[in-house]
Amino acid sequence: MTEHAHDISLEQAKELVALLEAGQQKRANEMLDEVYNRRNDKLFTSVGQLTRDLHEALQDFQLDPRIVQLTEDELPDAQNRLQYVIQKTEDAANRTMDAVEACLPMADDMHQKIEQLMPKWQQLMDNNIELSEFKSLCHGVDDVLRSCGQNMPQIHGLMTEVLMAQDYQDITGQVIRRVIQLVEDVEKNLIELLKLFGDEAKKGAKKAPQAADKSQAEGPIIDADKRDDVVSGQDDVDDLLSSLGF
Amino acid sequence: MDKNMKILVVDDFSTMRRIIKNLLRDLGFTNIQEADDGNTALPMLQQGDFDFVVTDWNMPGMQGIDLLKEIRKDDKLSHLPVLMVTAEAKREQIIQAAQAGVNGYIVKPFTAATLKEKLDKIFERIS
Repeated sequence: MTEHAHDISLEQAKELVALLEAGQQKRANEMLDEVYNRRNDKLFTSVGQLTRDLHEALQDFQLDPRIVQLTEDELPDAQNRLQYVIQKTEDAANRTMDAVEACLPMADDMHQKIEQLMPKWQQLMDNNIELSEFKSLCHGVDDVLRSCGQNMPQIHGLMTEVLMAQDYQDITGQVIRRVIQLVEDVEKNLIELLKLFGDEAKKGAKKAPQAADKSQAEGPIIDADKRDDVVSGQDDVDDLLSSLGF
Repeated sequence: MDKNMKILVVDDFSTMRRIIKNLLRDLGFTNIQEADDGNTALPMLQQGDFDFVVTDWNMPGMQGIDLLKEIRKDDKLSHLPVLMVTAEAKREQIIQAAQAGVNGYIVKPFTAATLKEKLDKIFERIS
C-alpha cells in the first residue's frame, strides 16, 4: 500500500463536483465517505500492527521461562546463598578469634614468667649469684620449660584451627560466583525489558541517582582508586580532619 | 588515661565488636560493654556512667552519625568522647562527622596501632 493510494485524486474531485452540479447529493456523499474511509483504513492498519507487535512482545516476555524462574526461584535462592555467606564468614571469624583468644593468655603467661626470671638470670650471666638464688632460679627455669612444653603443642593445635577456619574462602567464593551469574542473567532480562518499553523508562531512570544524599552511608568503598569523593586510607582521613582544624 | 574507664562499643557485626574489644583489652581496658546499633546504645548511655564510646557508622536502626548527634544534644552525655570506626570513607561524611562533634575517625580496615594512636590523642586533648 503506497501513501498515494489513499489520497483523493483530481479525477475523483472532478467527479465529486460533477455529481454535486448534477444535484446527485446522495451519490456525492457516498463517494466522499468512500474516500474518507480509505484514508482511515491506513491509520487503523497501523494502530492494529502496533498493537499486535506490542502484544506479541509482551507475550514473548511473559513466556520467557527464565523470567519466571528468576523471580520465583533464583532470586530468593540468591538471598539464601548470600545469607549463607554472611553466616560462614561470621563462623570463620569467630572460630579464628576463639583460637587467638585461647593463645593470647598462654603467650602472656610465658612472657610474664620469663620477665620475672630475667633479673636473676642476668645475675647468673654476670657470675654474680648466691647459691640460694641459683636454686630458686633453677626452679623458675624448670617451671618455664615445663609450661612451655605444655603450651607449645596447644598453641600449635590452635594455630592449625586458625588455618582450617580459612576454608570459608573457598566455599563462599563458589557461592558468590553463582550469585554473580544470576545478577548477570537478571541484568540481561532487564535490558530486554528496557528495549521493550523504550525511551520512557530511560527518561525516568536518569533522574534517580542524583537524588541520593552525598553523606548517606554507603558501606565499604570497593573502587576508591577510581573515585575522588572518598579518602584512600587513614592518612587521608587525618589530613582532611587536620585541614578542618582537628 | 584511666584504664578502668567504662567503654561502649557499638557495631552491628558481633565479630567487629569482638575485634575492637580484644584490641582495647590489649591496651589495658577491661570495662567494656557492647551494643548493636544506636537505638540499643542510647538508652545504655543514658542509664550507665560510660566514659567513652566507639561506634560504627552504617548500622540498621539508628546509625552511628545519628547516635553521635543524639549524644551531643543530650546535656548529660554531650561531653562524652566519641570515636568513629567505620568503613564509610566519603569526604562529605568525614566532614559531617567532624561538624557533628566526633572526637576521632578511623576508617576500616584499620590496625591496632591506629586505634592506640587515636585513643591517646583523644585523651591527651581531654586531660
